[in-house]
Amino acid sequence: MDDAGELAVVEHQSGARVVAATPSALARGVEPGYSVAGALAVAPALQLRDRNPALETATLAEFATWAGQFTPNISIDPPDAIVLEASTSLRLFGGVAALARRIRLDLIPLGLHATLAAAPTPLAARWLARVRPDSLMRASPHWWRNLDALPVDLLAEGAEVSRATLELLHGIGVRRIGDVARLPRDGLARRQAASVLDTLARARGERPDPRPWFVPPERFESRLVLPASVTSTEPLLFAAGRLFSGLAAWLAARHAALDRCRLCLEHDDQRETLLEIVTGRAVRDEGRLLMLAREHLAALELPAPVEALRLSADTPISAPGRTQDLFGDPDAARDGATLLLDRLRARLGPDAVHTVHPVSEHRPEHAWRSAEPGCRPARGSPACGLRPLWLMTEPRALGSPRALNLLSGPERIESGWWDGADMRRDYYIARAPDDGLWWVFECLDPPGGWYVHGFFG
Amino acid sequence: MSAAAQATLAALPPGLVWQADRLAHPTEAGMATGFAALDAQLPGGGWPRNALIELLADAPGIGELGLLLPVLRTVSAERWIVWVAPPWLPYAPALEAAGVPLEQLLLLEPANHAETLWAIRQALASGGSSVVLAWLTRADTAALRRLQLAAEASATPLFLFRPATAARQPSPASLRLRLEAQDDRLSVDIFKRRGPGLTAPIQLSIPQRPISACSPVYTDALVCTDPVRIAATGIHTGRG
Repeated sequence: MDDAGELAVVEHQSGARVVAATPSALARGVEPGYSVAGALAVAPALQLRDRNPALETATLAEFATWAGQFTPNISIDPPDAIVLEASTSLRLFGGVAALARRIRLDLIPLGLHATLAAAPTPLAARWLARVRPDSLMRASPHWWRNLDALPVDLLAEGAEVSRATLELLHGIGVRRIGDVARLPRDGLARRQAASVLDTLARARGERPDPRPWFVPPERFESRLVLPASVTSTEPLLFAAGRLFSGLAAWLAARHAALDRCRLCLEHDDQRETLLEIVTGRAVRDEGRLLMLAREHLAALELPAPVEALRLSADTPISAPGRTQDLFGDPDAARDGATLLLDRLRARLGPDAVHTVHPVSEHRPEHAWRSAEPGCRPARGSPACGLRPLWLMTEPRALGSPRALNLLSGPERIESGWWDGADMRRDYYIARAPDDGLWWVFECLDPPGGWYVHGFFG
Repeated sequence: MSAAAQATLAALPPGLVWQADRLAHPTEAGMATGFAALDAQLPGGGWPRNALIELLADAPGIGELGLLLPVLRTVSAERWIVWVAPPWLPYAPALEAAGVPLEQLLLLEPANHAETLWAIRQALASGGSSVVLAWLTRADTAALRRLQLAAEASATPLFLFRPATAARQPSPASLRLRLEAQDDRLSVDIFKRRGPGLTAPIQLSIPQRPISACSPVYTDALVCTDPVRIAATGIHTGRG
């Protein structure tokens, strides 16, 4: 969690109690379990937020989606845990410790903080994450003896051991998980504490512990409420970075790429601003998407302060990951070219970036058209006279044609009766007083007159 | 300079020390301009591959584009030929006839001066363009300096077209050319280069210009009442 000042999350279930607090609030002495009055007494400036279970579930799902880049076997363990079955991908990531380090580092841009632990069974890993964060327990004979020292209260964590059973265990002086093992098994079973034995067996891996695998959503949608309304684009970009990190993880988990996504800027009392981010080719790189978003935002004038950001994407394109090439990436140059095109389009607008193609037409104005950059023009333009490299889109009337020195011509162009843009012109190549070569014409239809239409640059 | 110093200098590896009385020898050979007379006068034997090149001209239609056509014809595929803020429409039929690969052409029409500078820098920095042509009516030295640095860093040549009056303004460009029409030919005055000044402008005859192909028909169309029809393309019945 970012340092958002002194902030605590409050649950109202059994009297208003603090369930979590920011580091600066913890430093003030606020602790989870405090009543609201108690917390306010030690930290008068404390801001309180109600617990939002829906948001917690959504965050877990987002996190699970993100974790899809490490292993396909993920399961959500409510209310606050995620289990990754990583034994098959350990070699790829260079071992448990390296994987844990990478997860921790990669979580930073997402704005999430996680306590990690690893163990041969999901239940044991969860217990360790709760009380011994960062412990990485490897499978070895009798590894589960290490669990014996853990407090017995953990039995209620992620298992069906009831509070009453825990109290029973407390009552007979059981403090550690290891103590349970020393109790007579049939005695426990008789006292409705069979769940304890079952849980222990699952934690030790003696009994199977199947879990439903998490399936990443078909459609990506992520929303980020800004801590304060924002009127400039720079903080928006920073916040959008988090959303794009999530999007990139979603893509990585699905081994997919996309060529468009939508960024919504939500305002308080106005219609939301929609940015359609279109890339030239399928991408899965968050940096590139973010860079395009930057160009869009830079060109944008915010109609109102922004309260929240929403990023959504669907129809991912299946795209296998690219392996490193020994002799450099042959696609790099083409990549640079499409990247440039995307970037220019995002900033200048799609209309300001184009190319020109010839069109089979005699009228000079209609003998070209604007075209999508990168497209090959169709072959077979009509044979015609020499054409200038520069054309004026609007012919300019010549005040004093006498100053011109006509070099060649005329070339009669008389065409276009079918679409109302009929013309009858005599084109000449002329030398201007400043020695430039101009393409001029005399209009044969009334009102007539001489015009310059292009330059032989 | 003493003979000993001459010998010492001559023994140095080429490109290490540039002596002002001869053309610099950049480590990388330039791009052939397509004009032998011009190549001979340019350091590196052609257009530098990573520099800002200023082309100063006032009048359109003197062959300013024709000068670059050989370069535009020989660019590598997969990369753009970027034109930033051209003053008129680059005419597709003529470009195609000249052999310019239109599928690599990227025309940018930025809305204002700041965006023009931004677009030029992007086109240079991306590594996705093989050559950048840009038209700037005004540019302060700081902006030119940034463009020169961007061109250097990206190893992409930038041809910057500016009005002739810009010759008076100092510029960080390593190569500055003044273009003028001289009868049928293009006169190129290299007034700044890494080397001694040019004694006289180079006269180039630009191919694909009408001038060498045809001779004057008559001098004043308005006096001539019945012009001789040389060609009449496009007939009235038209092509559907």
